Amino acid sequence: MSHEVKELVKRLRPSLSLGEYGKIFTDTTSYMNISYGDVIEIDNQHYLVLRDEAERSFGIEDPKYWVKRCIHLETGERRILKLVFHEKFMLKLGSLEIPCYRSPEKEARILDLVRDDLRFMQGFSRFDKKGNIVRIIQVIKGKRLDHHVFELEVPHRDYFHEHLPAILEKFLDSCLAIRYLHDHQEIHGDIRRDHLWIEHGSGRYRWIDFDYTYEFEENPFGLDIFGLGSLLIFLVGKQIYTLSNLASQGFSPDTAAAFNQGDFSLLYKNRIVNLRKLFPYIPEKLNLVLMHFSNRAEIFYESVDEFLAELEPCIKEIKKS
Amino acid sequence: MNLKKILIAADASENAKRAAAYVGEIIGPRKDFEIEILYVLRYPDRDLFPDADAWENKKDEERKKAQEVLSGLSTVLEEKGIPVSAISTVSKEAKGFSIAQAILEYQQQNGFGTIVVGRRGVSKAEEFLFGSVSNKIVHYARDCAVWVIE
Repeated sequence: MSHEVKELVKRLRPSLSLGEYGKIFTDTTSYMNISYGDVIEIDNQHYLVLRDEAERSFGIEDPKYWVKRCIHLETGERRILKLVFHEKFMLKLGSLEIPCYRSPEKEARILDLVRDDLRFMQGFSRFDKKGNIVRIIQVIKGKRLDHHVFELEVPHRDYFHEHLPAILEKFLDSCLAIRYLHDHQEIHGDIRRDHLWIEHGSGRYRWIDFDYTYEFEENPFGLDIFGLGSLLIFLVGKQIYTLSNLASQGFSPDTAAAFNQGDFSLLYKNRIVNLRKLFPYIPEKLNLVLMHFSNRAEIFYESVDEFLAELEPCIKEIKKS
Repeated sequence: MNLKKILIAADASENAKRAAAYVGEIIGPRKDFEIEILYVLRYPDRDLFPDADAWENKKDEERKKAQEVLSGLSTVLEEKGIPVSAISTVSKEAKGFSIAQAILEYQQQNGFGTIVVGRRGVSKAEEFLFGSVSNKIVHYARDCAVWVIE
């Protein structure tokens, strides 16, 4: 079979040099066997596999064998192919653990729903010869929003007044994108800092990875809204603050002593939500929006609209100040 | 609304049993009450299952569970002396996400003056993330009394 792949690569991408020539796969069921140098053929299109995708956290690489980084041989463009992998696992959210399901069908459906809506990653799905649904996704060239924000080399006060209003304007649009999903009875399911990217060139914010789903509860959008809130807390603070990193950020022991249980995240017990105690120039109104995600909260946002109704005026206020 | 028309919102929890037992205790053998036990079926989403067969099997299981719960709660009421003729049961499929909304719609359409619901007691974080049927009923109920049994 190697010879066949070699011929295919030569015909479609003559400039590509490849150390190994693998097999052609029209059935992706055994995704563990598909690796570097193999070609996945779907719908008469050919995707040369470069490597398995990996998730990196705390310096550890966790390979995702069902996600392949590829080159689309017909165009030379990079693509990510997500193959069928059903999984149920317990997702840890601070002190809570909830059953979470990975659903290829859900992500494929959302890719259709958000076609040409560039607030989301773009792609489409096709079936392989065995009927496995394969998601073919365009690679976003860009940077994680949180990395961009964290790496801005300005003091917080300058960041808050000069950078944050524009960031929040775009974040608002990202929230509206999530509302669009909710309006269509869909959820993102995995809103976290590394799933919102800034695209190089356009500067557009784009959501990625929406294959997580959950057992329905009375408020199916709660998880997404909490994710948006946690992201907002990061953006306003320019980073995550905990009692243990305050000293390294130049805050005095007196500042640290002023915090009580109500000032921390409802889910992540060590994360400071009451940022106004650190940065008194944060307007009360904006801080109150943050505090809806704190231990002190008694009333919760049930929809993105409720969240935005309180957040939007705050952006105007920061701009004016 | 007729306060003597009582709707018990049922699920498979111990709280629902407690709610039924409470109603049985309060009403006892009195004959001028009507009590209906409602089980709202919310099927798990198709996305949670690798194939359609597994999903259909789960839905069958859910329907059976609903019937068992309704029959079990009827027995609880009967054992407290409520006449069999005063008890009815019904299961309905939720059209949207919200069980609370389905309960309230049924209450409005059928003129129940009292809703009885068990409460499992969730943490604040759980309420934010997942919501609470009993809290939603308390919040949105109109023209009726709501008994929340813990």
